[in-house]
Formats: sequence, structure tokens, C-alpha cells
Amino acid sequence: MDWYPLYNSLRIALISSVIVFFTGIFSAYYIARLNRVVKGILDVILTLPMVLPPTVVGYFLLLLLGARRPVGLWFQEQFGVKLAMTWYSGVFAAAVVAFPLMYRTARGAFESFDETLAYSAQTLGLSNTYIFWRIRMPACRQGILAGAVLAFARALGEYGATSMLAGYTPGKTATISTTVYQLWRTDNEALAFKWVMVNMAISAVVLLIVNMLERSGKARQKERRK
Amino acid sequence: MMKRKYGAIIMAGAVAVSVLLGCGGGQKAADSNGAQENPGTAQSREIQESSGAAESVELIVFAAASMTETLTRIAQMYREVRPEVEIVFTFDSSGTLKTQIQEGADCDIFISAAQKQMNQLDISADSLVNTEGLDFVLEGSRFNLVENKVVLAVPDGNPADITSYEDLGTDKLGLICLGNEDVPVGAYSIEILDSLGILEQLENGSKITYGSNVKEVTTQVKEASADCGIIYATDAFSAGLMVVDQADEDQCGQVIYPAAVMNLSKHQQEAQSFLDYLTTEECQAVFESVGFSMAR
Repeated sequence: MDWYPLYNSLRIALISSVIVFFTGIFSAYYIARLNRVVKGILDVILTLPMVLPPTVVGYFLLLLLGARRPVGLWFQEQFGVKLAMTWYSGVFAAAVVAFPLMYRTARGAFESFDETLAYSAQTLGLSNTYIFWRIRMPACRQGILAGAVLAFARALGEYGATSMLAGYTPGKTATISTTVYQLWRTDNEALAFKWVMVNMAISAVVLLIVNMLERSGKARQKERRK
Repeated sequence: MMKRKYGAIIMAGAVAVSVLLGCGGGQKAADSNGAQENPGTAQSREIQESSGAAESVELIVFAAASMTETLTRIAQMYREVRPEVEIVFTFDSSGTLKTQIQEGADCDIFISAAQKQMNQLDISADSLVNTEGLDFVLEGSRFNLVENKVVLAVPDGNPADITSYEDLGTDKLGLICLGNEDVPVGAYSIEILDSLGILEQLENGSKITYGSNVKEVTTQVKEASADCGIIYATDAFSAGLMVVDQADEDQCGQVIYPAAVMNLSKHQQEAQSFLDYLTTEECQAVFESVGFSMAR
């Protein structure tokens, strides 16, 4: 069994979740403080990839990043870099699809953060950066971690947009999900089944982590209440 | 304060649901409608119009993706001949269509891009091909409709400067797009590359990307996602792609499209008349206009 799809899937999921972790948190933080109209509009735009079919996301990405499309052409001419049909195309696809999960969860956590904590920190003369990293983030830790895990899981399972933007090149752009589809199509059920098991094992681990995080969060809160 | 924080955790967990329900709203519904419009229009229009006629018959035709343009045109012509017959198409790779027929999809006519998929559904075919003993083809209705050519097509301007099948074995080639092996054009491609002795070299070099039907391969080439692709002459013509090489018969055999009525069809008579219509001179002219030739 060639393990490349596993390696590629994990690589794509890890890199895209790191990207999404930071972009998601910062957009959640800044958008939460905008006025209602702008917030509403940005919110819809940033959440769209989650409710749109992945094929529609893939279509939009191709319109931008394809070899003959504006952004893709520019990168090709400036840096000689292809943005579509490479393994890192999968990162773009997975990041766009997973972003809303991180963004929404982080925003939910920030919104229920007690602002008086931040104000009292300000009266103590602490900088905003310090307040963000040492007070706000730790207080919202549960929600943010849950968002990151969900985003990772979504990125790992991405199929639609990835298959459109990265295609299926064995040993290059193949991920677990595209490999399963390809093996099923070409009637290689035994191998498809193996990959399905691998995928289920990974997903089970991810869900276990989410559950453990939730449990430890609850335990900590109980302790504090005492 | 504690209550609020607890709420944050619940919110984090339930966020997927809340977003789908709460923020879905009108805008997204409108968006997804717009997105669905393209692939669905042809079919839905056909269905809508059929509801008007009194004794309308709906014929479901499963045809190889490479026949999309020609058959759509012929269906429009057929409406003038037999206005009461509505033709609804499903275009995909013959392998996918074969599986769908086998799984019980409603289908009156099947037109495959290779004998293999038709044989797999034909009880009178060799049991070495029809391994599952499937019996879907109406006896006596099967015939060879048209012949196609397998060509090597490149994007506008031929960025990788590929001029022949032999070039595929050189460093000029970065990425080639082929159909899957269950797609007829993919099977032909493999035969061609095998006859040139470069199939393994391309596979090991990860230079092959696979599309799930010939139209997908065509799009990948048109978008210059791949340096070149192996498709049918007719698809290259319809997409306006540059053809740099054509396979000989000894490289991949004759590319014949068989057509047949399905024996589970409720409108076998109507289906047969449509197949007969396909062999008329008017239809031949349509087929030949994109590069098909009539099967010998």
C-alpha cells in the first residue's frame, strides 16, 4: 500500500489548519468590534464557504487560481509558480472550506468573553497585545481549541474543492478522499476499503480529542465554582 | 460570569448547527439556486415543457459525455419530427452510466463510447466481458452508431510545445490529463501509452492526473491545468482545442460507439424510432460536423 495519500492529506490538513487558526482568530477578533451592518455583511461572506457546496467553492477558486485565470496567471508570470493542480492547491481549497468553522467558533467564544476583564486589565496599564494573548485567549481557550480541531477535521475530509483545484495525480496531489473515490471508480474495492478504515481511524481520534477537551473544560469550571 | 463561559463552550460545540439554521437566510438560498442553475437547466426545461403535451412520452437517454453537443442538437431536431417525444439526457463517462444502469437507473437508450461497457450489459456478449451475467440490452436493438478518433490535444499556444505522442516520453511534459481506466477514453489512452512503452515511466513520475470523464479532461486541457490531454477528436473540435497527434487503429483499435434500447424500457417502440432517426442523413450530417464518422 502506497501511503502517499495519508501523508499528503495530513500535510494539507495541518498547514491549512495553522493558516486558518490565525486568520480565523484575528478576523473574529476584529469583526466582533465592527458596527452591526458591516459585521453582518462580512459575517455572511466569511461563512459562505461552509454552507456552499464544496464544488461551488472549487469553481470560484478555479476562476481565480487556474493557470489561465487572473491570480494564477500573475503568479505564473511573476514567480513561475503554478497555483492549480499541485499538492499545495489542496491547502488553498481546504483552508477556504475550513475557515468558517474556526472563525465562527472563535467569534462565539470572544462574544461571550466578559469585557470587564479586559477593562480592568487596561486600568492596570496592560497593553492591548498583552491583554489579547494573556487574558482574552486563555479565557476563550476551549472554544478556540474546539474550532481548531473542527477546522482540522474538515480540512482532512475535504473532497469537492480539492478534486477540482488539485485534481487527482497519484503520488502528487492524491489525498485520502480523492483516492477512495478513484479506487471505487476503478473497481478496486479492497483497497478503497482499507483507506476508508484509515480515514475512520483518524476521524475517531479527532472526535476523541474534541470530547476530551470538552470534558477537561467542564472539570475545570466545576473546580473554579468550588 | 461562569454561566457565560459555559455558554461559550456549548456555542463552540453547536456552532455548525447554529450557523446552518440561524445565519442561512435568504441570501444563501439565492446563491445556491444560482449555482445549481447551470447543470440542471437543460433537463428541467425538458421536463417543464413535456408537462404541456397530452400524450407525451419521455425517453431517457444515457449517452457518452463525448456526444453531449451532437445529441443535444439532434434532440432539438427530433422535436420537430416527433413533438410528443421528450428526450432527457444524462451525459457522463460510459463506465459511470453502465454502473448506474446496473444499479437500476431508469434508462431507455444507452449509447456507449466503447464496446466494453455495452458488452458488460449484454447477455449475448462473451461471459469474459459480461462477467456478472447482466441482461439489460434489448435483443436485436444493438448496433454500431458512429466512430471517433483518439487525439492528443494541447491548450491554446501549446505552452509545453508537445507535438506528438512520442513527446510524452520526454522532459517537455510536466503533466498530462487522462480519463480514468473505467472511462473509455482513459482505456484507449492507456493502450496508446502502453504501445509506446512510456506508460510506466509517466505513472512513476507522477505525470498523470485523472479526470472522471472525457469532458473533465477536456476542461483541464482548455484551462491549461495540464500540458496536454488525450481526448476524442470530437471533444477537441467542440472545445476548439488544438490537436497535435492522432492515434492509429493499431495503437488503440477502432473507437466505436454502440447504441441499444434497454430491455427494461417502458417505451421500447419510441426508443427504437429515436435510434432509427439517429441513422438518418440529417443526423449523420450533425455527427460528421464535429468529426464523428459513421460506423462501418
